[in-house]
Amino acid sequence: MTLTTCLLLASALFSVGVYGLLTRQQLVAVLVSVELMANAANIVLVAFSHFTASPLGQVFTLFALAITVAEVAVGLALALLLYRTHASSRLDAAKEMNG
Amino acid sequence: MSLLLPVVVFAPAIAAFLLLAIPDSQKAATRAVSLLGATISLLGSIKVALDYDRSAGGLQMGYDLPLLPTLGIHLNLAVDGWGASLLLLTGIIIFAAVLASFTVARRDKEFFIYLLVLVSGVFGVFVAQDLLIFFLLYEIAVLPMYLLIGIWGSSNKVAEDGPFRYVWSLLDVGGREYAAMKLTLMLLMGSAAILVGIFWLYLEAGATSFDLAELARHEYAEPTQLIVFPLFWLGFGTLAGVFPFHTWSPDGHASAPTAVSMLHAGVLMKLGAFGVMRVGMVLLPEGTHAWAPIVGAVAVINVVYGAFSAMSQKDLKYIVAYSSVSHMGVVMLGAATLDSTAWNGAVFQMFAHGVMTGLLFALVGLIYERSHTRIIATMGGFGSVMPVVALFFTLACLSSLGLPGTAGFVAEMMVFLGAWRVGHPIWAIAGIVGAFVTAVYVLRASRTIFWGPGPSEKFEHLHDAHGSELVAPIVLGAAIVVFGVWPRLILDLIDPSTSANLAVITRVIGGGQ
Amino acid sequence: MRSPLSEAPLAALVAVLAPALAALLLAVLPMVRRRGAPAAWICLASSVASLVSAGLLLAGQLGEAEPMAWTTSWLTLDGQGLGELGVNVDGISASMLVVVTIVALCVQVFSVSYMHDEPPDAYGRYFTYHALFLFSMNLLVLAPDLLQLFAGWELVGVTSYLLIGFYYRKPSAGRAALKAFWITKLADMGFILALAVLFTSTSAFRFDAELSTPLANVVAGLLFFAVVGKSAQFPLHIWLPDAMEGPTPVSALLHAATMVAAGVFLVVRADPIFAHAPDTREVMLVVGSLTALFAAGLATVQTDIKKVLAYSTCSQLGYMVAALGAGSTLGGYFHLTTHAFFKALLFLSAGSVIHAVHSNELADMGGLRKRMPLTATAFIVGSLALAGIPGTAGFFSKDLVLAALEGRMGWLPYVALMTTAFLTAFYMGRVVLVAFFGEARGKADHAHESGALMLGPLAVLAVLSLGVGYFGAHFAEVTATGEYHLHFGMTPAIASGLALGGFALAYAVFGGGRDASGVGVLALLDGAARSALVDRTYEALYRHGMLNAAAAIGWFDRYVMDGLVNLSGWLTLVAARSLRRLQSGFAPDYVFAVVLGALALAAWGYLS
Repeated sequence: MTLTTCLLLASALFSVGVYGLLTRQQLVAVLVSVELMANAANIVLVAFSHFTASPLGQVFTLFALAITVAEVAVGLALALLLYRTHASSRLDAAKEMNG
Repeated sequence: MSLLLPVVVFAPAIAAFLLLAIPDSQKAATRAVSLLGATISLLGSIKVALDYDRSAGGLQMGYDLPLLPTLGIHLNLAVDGWGASLLLLTGIIIFAAVLASFTVARRDKEFFIYLLVLVSGVFGVFVAQDLLIFFLLYEIAVLPMYLLIGIWGSSNKVAEDGPFRYVWSLLDVGGREYAAMKLTLMLLMGSAAILVGIFWLYLEAGATSFDLAELARHEYAEPTQLIVFPLFWLGFGTLAGVFPFHTWSPDGHASAPTAVSMLHAGVLMKLGAFGVMRVGMVLLPEGTHAWAPIVGAVAVINVVYGAFSAMSQKDLKYIVAYSSVSHMGVVMLGAATLDSTAWNGAVFQMFAHGVMTGLLFALVGLIYERSHTRIIATMGGFGSVMPVVALFFTLACLSSLGLPGTAGFVAEMMVFLGAWRVGHPIWAIAGIVGAFVTAVYVLRASRTIFWGPGPSEKFEHLHDAHGSELVAPIVLGAAIVVFGVWPRLILDLIDPSTSANLAVITRVIGGGQ
Repeated sequence: MRSPLSEAPLAALVAVLAPALAALLLAVLPMVRRRGAPAAWICLASSVASLVSAGLLLAGQLGEAEPMAWTTSWLTLDGQGLGELGVNVDGISASMLVVVTIVALCVQVFSVSYMHDEPPDAYGRYFTYHALFLFSMNLLVLAPDLLQLFAGWELVGVTSYLLIGFYYRKPSAGRAALKAFWITKLADMGFILALAVLFTSTSAFRFDAELSTPLANVVAGLLFFAVVGKSAQFPLHIWLPDAMEGPTPVSALLHAATMVAAGVFLVVRADPIFAHAPDTREVMLVVGSLTALFAAGLATVQTDIKKVLAYSTCSQLGYMVAALGAGSTLGGYFHLTTHAFFKALLFLSAGSVIHAVHSNELADMGGLRKRMPLTATAFIVGSLALAGIPGTAGFFSKDLVLAALEGRMGWLPYVALMTTAFLTAFYMGRVVLVAFFGEARGKADHAHESGALMLGPLAVLAVLSLGVGYFGAHFAEVTATGEYHLHFGMTPAIASGLALGGFALAYAVFGGGRDASGVGVLALLDGAARSALVDRTYEALYRHGMLNAAAAIGWFDRYVMDGLVNLSGWLTLVAARSLRRLQSGFAPDYVFAVVLGALALAAWGYLS
């Protein structure tokens, strides 16, 4: 397993995330896509950490995971709120901010 | 290190801070604290003017507090002769303005807070020796205006006829929010130009601080001089009402509450002129030299154009506002001559116009509070019912048209003499014509308002100024006469600084005019 | 010039500061001013102090006292003083000071009675203005340099404005006051420019500046422009007849005896400059003669007694200006002095008549000789002096003026002034005959003689109008303006003959109680039309020139300059309105933008 394979895996994961982010309308699906992108970044960090023998990347990944948990909590709370106020968890329901 | 200057500068701000702790219902206490802050500043500025060593000249009473030493930013306050005389002006005006605001009824505490914070900024600009602090205080002096006009101002939509009615109504022309917005936006545009200029000079000089003296020691390259000077001229000049960036002034001054008009026309416009001379001209002698003919020509337009515009106005406050545009033109005219006579005159004109226009706005406020109209055609015969107001109004008018014995004469005379001496007879003649036109429109207005058979029935009940209302006119009127009869009280302050600042310029441009 | 205060001519300082103090007191103490009588006392006391000081100064100058001055610098420039403020006592200023203070005191005493019917606050205001006027006039007279003289010059202009507009409820008074102020202010632009030229070449404002001839011509010419305004010379004379809207004693003091003569005084004072300006003097000669003749012509057709005297003042000021233009400083200055007395006398006696008749119109008078014998005597004495009948003061001073004109410019000015002398006698004869002789008409029936407070000043002035002429030699000596000698030639003979002829013609036309309406000098109405023409020109310049220009500029500012500002505001709004469509409000759109941006950055990084 080389660094390149790891990076390819990460980019694939990231692209899937981006695709999901751009096409999905369900807020929960969007959240999942964002998680995919975040984890792609985590994979890059861990991979570099492994191949350069520096623990810094892994430490940072752990930190990022903790943050992600909080982020998901907020995201799900938002999804719940959106459902309550707009009777739907689709993003196009919330368009009050259009110009 | 003398604490006098920080006291003068920050006393109003501290008073504003104290006001936060006073409950809204305590109207008397609000006014007492505000007046106390203003009084301390006034007394302090008088002490500065008295203590300033006129024979030594230069910067005195320094106070230096490093704020951000790593960036070389110091709270560096010191006063020169120009600063001392303008401090005195600000002290007089804020004292009168606070008194004139005693009648503010709605949200008065906030009003006084903004007013006092603003005036701290004004005091600061005149003594700040660090260009960044100078700029910061300049902004503090300008920004509260938005709230003061937007909240406490008065709307005066002049009924528009013809094709413009629709467009004007779209833009809400004449509304107080419109006036506040226009004033703030135009002045901020000026500020942006100034900030660019300041950083440009800082970077080119490779300076370690924003100290004015340090920046002044560097000789800037010619392109810099030629580009940055107009930035300063138009940037500061917007606040001084330089044509064509003067149009915020009539609407702004007309919409503002009395005290704000007094402060704005009386002192803030001087910040602009002071900035042009103290920062623009002294830091950039070659740029000044190259641009001076244009500065002077534009000032001539200001003088004559402002006077004629004033003549065509129907609203009393607009007349006074346009007269400020015209009189500030005299200041810029004096500045553009690069001659010691005219520079003395220009700085003296800042003082004289400040006191005079402060008095005019205070009186217009008094008249408006009583008659609820500012359209002069509807007035008439007010002299019979308010003789004291008429007396002070006449005094202010006479100073405005440059009558000997009032402060206005000394200022205008010296500017005209200087302009002629350095070979700009056209400027001098235009200035004199402007003074003549001023005589026509101020006396015409004064006659319409005060003379003629007694007031119409609607205005019969009007009463004269009395009690605390009299304090502001008396203070300002006395200043007009005292400094007009014995101008050396402040000319002796101004003169050494004029020589010192002018020496910087003549040294670089080789003494040529 | 500078000397310590201990050696200062204290009397001169008193002469200036006493009225200043009175004016200041009355201005800042409304409770005193509004009570009326105390204000009059304060004003009179200060005038007496001024008069005594002036007398002492003149006595000193008549004796062997040296001219003296006490000055301090008024302004600061380049670490030095600029402009002198103080008092300068020499023969010229001392004699003028005496004239001013005598006339002022006479007028003020007269006013105590004349203005008695005014409400107390107006009465107090009146005397406040008077104190202010005397201060300004003394400041002007004692000025050590042109700058202070200008200060006094402008201040008397303002007091004139305030006093013409004294009856401020009357719209015509307001108009007249503004007109007077604006016209003189217009002329004063010349003064300011003269100061600028003088300052540029000498860095000072001295009367005796050493100037080259071209420069002296410029300075003197500019100063003369100011004189034309202040001393009501053609074509800026139009404010003076209107100025008669003020109370009559004011007309006597300001608009006949002293203030309008300030222009002539300026020329006398600045004689060293004018002496080097021959071209300006030529202009003065022409303007003076023209004004004298023109105004005398107009005086003959006026029906208002004050207007007759006003045009007569213009005319006599023309004499003085012509004399100065011909180089006879003594002639001009001496005529100023005698004229001050007899014209004040005429105005005050006219005031006495107006007070009794309650009308200015000659048609309302008639036969007053019997009802007001003392006033009539005073008026007749004044008329004789004005016409230059031998033995009166006017004869001596006019003689000097006419003698100076002999042979100048092909005798034209000489002829003009001789004609004027004839016309002068004619119109004064007309006024005397119509007002004081014949049958009493209209309101004149109920007239009765004025009180002692009004007759006293008349007596003093009448004596002076008769006697001052005999002191020409002393006057010449103390003022050092020239050699005085009486001419026993053709000139005084012709002048006297013409004056008598004028009276005779007046008697032929108006004598024997013939009605005033038969003026019958239609030829001269032409002049009145021309006056209206001059007036109309200014009216048109003001209304069509200035006001329209102002309206145009005001429109331009509001719609074009401010329109540009509003346009930029409007454009911003329009731009914002179209740009805001970019804000769709859909979160995925924003994410799309973020991704696009990231890709663009990546591409940029890859390519570079």
